[in-house]
Amino acid sequence: MTVADERTPVTPGAEPPTEPPRFGPRRPGSRWAWVRPSVWLPLTVMLAVLSALWQYGARRLPYLLPSLPDVGRSLGANPGYYVHNALVTLGEATAGLAMGFVAAFLLAVLTSELPLVHRAVMPIAVVLNVTPLVAIAPALVVAFGFGPLPKLIITGLICFFPILINTAAGLRSVPLPVLQVYRTMDAGRVELLWHLRIPHALPFLFAALRIVLPLSIIGAVVAEMSAAGSTRGLGTAISVASSMNQLPVVYASIAVLAFMGVLLLLAVSLVERRALHWHDGRQD
Amino acid sequence: MLQAPALELRSVRRAYGSGPSATVALDDVRLTVPPGRFVSLIGPSGCGKSTLLRLVAGLERPDRGDVRVHGVTPAKACAAKMIGLVPQTPALLPWMSVLRNVTLPQKINPGAGRRRKEIAASIGRDSAGTAPDMRELLAEARLGDVVHKLPAELSGGMRQRVAIVRAFGLRPDVLVMDEPFSALDEFTRESLQDQLLRLWDELRTTVLFVTHSVSEAVRLSDTVVVMAPNPGRIVESIDVDLPRPRGERLFAERRFHAYEDLVRDRLRRAWHGDAASAGGSRA
Repeated sequence: MTVADERTPVTPGAEPPTEPPRFGPRRPGSRWAWVRPSVWLPLTVMLAVLSALWQYGARRLPYLLPSLPDVGRSLGANPGYYVHNALVTLGEATAGLAMGFVAAFLLAVLTSELPLVHRAVMPIAVVLNVTPLVAIAPALVVAFGFGPLPKLIITGLICFFPILINTAAGLRSVPLPVLQVYRTMDAGRVELLWHLRIPHALPFLFAALRIVLPLSIIGAVVAEMSAAGSTRGLGTAISVASSMNQLPVVYASIAVLAFMGVLLLLAVSLVERRALHWHDGRQD
Repeated sequence: MLQAPALELRSVRRAYGSGPSATVALDDVRLTVPPGRFVSLIGPSGCGKSTLLRLVAGLERPDRGDVRVHGVTPAKACAAKMIGLVPQTPALLPWMSVLRNVTLPQKINPGAGRRRKEIAASIGRDSAGTAPDMRELLAEARLGDVVHKLPAELSGGMRQRVAIVRAFGLRPDVLVMDEPFSALDEFTRESLQDQLLRLWDELRTTVLFVTHSVSEAVRLSDTVVVMAPNPGRIVESIDVDLPRPRGERLFAERRFHAYEDLVRDRLRRAWHGDAASAGGSRA
C-alpha cells in the first residue's frame, strides 16, 4: 500500500465540504428493497465473475495468489488467531482515533475562539498533513519500542488533521442570521459554542469520521508492520506470513481487515442516523 | 416624568470602506421613535435601511453620531435582552423542536433580567413582566399543533411565524424586523401581517420594520419612514392615521390607497433625487 493511496481523501488545502455527505431520504419500504433481484443480482454476478477470475489466476500463478478455498480454510481452521489479532489492531486503531479526535476537537474549538491560536497552529497542522506520516512510523518504533504506544501515536496523528479541519469548518458554519439573532441577546461565547457552534459542527464531524476510520486502520497496520518485533495484530500477521510464504494467511488477514473497516463504517452510519436525524432535509 | 424615546438616532453616519472609495450607507440620519410605535423603513436598495436596523440591533456601530434605545446604547440594550430580532430568514436551529427553538432565548444570557430591571428603573419605565408561556404564545400564532415538530417539517410561513414568536417571547422593548416576509408568497404574507398585528396589539412593543413593500408598510405602521440612497438618508416620515385594528377591509378603503400613493410618490422623488431635504425627519 502506498502513501499516496492513503492520503487521497484529505487533499491538502482542499476546501472541506460545505455540505457534508448525508443519506438520501429514506423511502418507506426501502428496508426490504434488497429482496428484489434488480438490487442484489448485479453485485452477486460481479462477485461470481471476480471469484472465477481469481481462481483462474490462482491456478495459473500459484505462487502469487492463493486459491479462495485455501483462504477460507485458513480462516476456518484457526478463527481464534484472526479474531485475536483483529481485536488487537482494532483496539490500536480506535484508541489512536479517539486520542486524535479529542486533541483535534479541542484544538478546533480553540482555533475558532482565539484567532491567535488559529494563526499559530494552522500552518503547522497543514505541514503535518502533507507529511507522509507513515514515514515516521519506523522512527517512532525506534523511540518507543514494539509496544502499543507508537501505533497509537501514528494512528492519532493520521486522524488528527481531517478532524481538525472539518471541525473548525463546522464550528464556523453557523448561518449569519442565526448568529445575529443570538448576538442581539448578548449570548456569551460559551453559550454560542454550546448551543450553536458545536451542534452545527456535528455533520462535519461525522463526515470527518467517515474519512478517518479507514485511515485509523491503515495507521495501525502500517505501524505494526514497521515494528519488526511486534507479536500481535493483523499487520504483524501479514508481514510474518508473507515472509514465510503463507499466502492464504496473508489474504485471510486482509479479508478480515476489510471486513473490520466495513463494520466500523456501518457503526458510524448508525450513530449518524440517530444523531443527525434533523439533518436530512435541512431548512433554509 | 418624561419618558425617553424608545429609539433615538442623532446625526448618525455609517460608511463602509475608507477614503474616496468608501460607500456612505447612512449620512446624518436623525430619527426619534416614541415607545409603542410601529415604524417601517422603506426605500430602494442601497438606501441604508438594513444598516440602520443593524445599528439599532447593536450588530454594528455608527462611525459618527449616537444611537440610543430607551436611553442606553444598543450594546447595553442587548446585554439586557431588550431587543428582539427577526431576520429575513427564520434562522431556526434545525435540530430543535419548535418549542425548544422559541424557549432557548430565555435560557441564554441569564443575567439580562437584572440589567433590564436596572435600566427600566433608571428611565422610569415599567420593566417587562415575567417570561411568557411560550406554548400559549405559539398557540396564539396558530402553531399549537406543531410545537414538537422540527423546523424542516414546517412550511416557510410557519417557520417565519416561529421566528416572530421567538422574538416576541423575549417581551422586547424594541422589536427589529428585517424584511421578515419578503421570501413569502403574497397570500401567506397577508396572513402573517394579520398575526403580527394581533401579537403586537397585545404587547405594544416598539417595532422597527424594514420592508420593500409599500402596502405592507402602510398597513402595518404608525409611521412610514422613506429613505433614499447615495448617501443613505431619511427623506420623509409619513404618519399613517388609519384606525386599528387594520383587517382585510382596510384594503378596500380609499384612505389606505391614498397613503400608498403618497408613499409611492415620495419614493419616486427620492429615487430621482429631487427630494430637497436630506434628513429632517419628524417621526
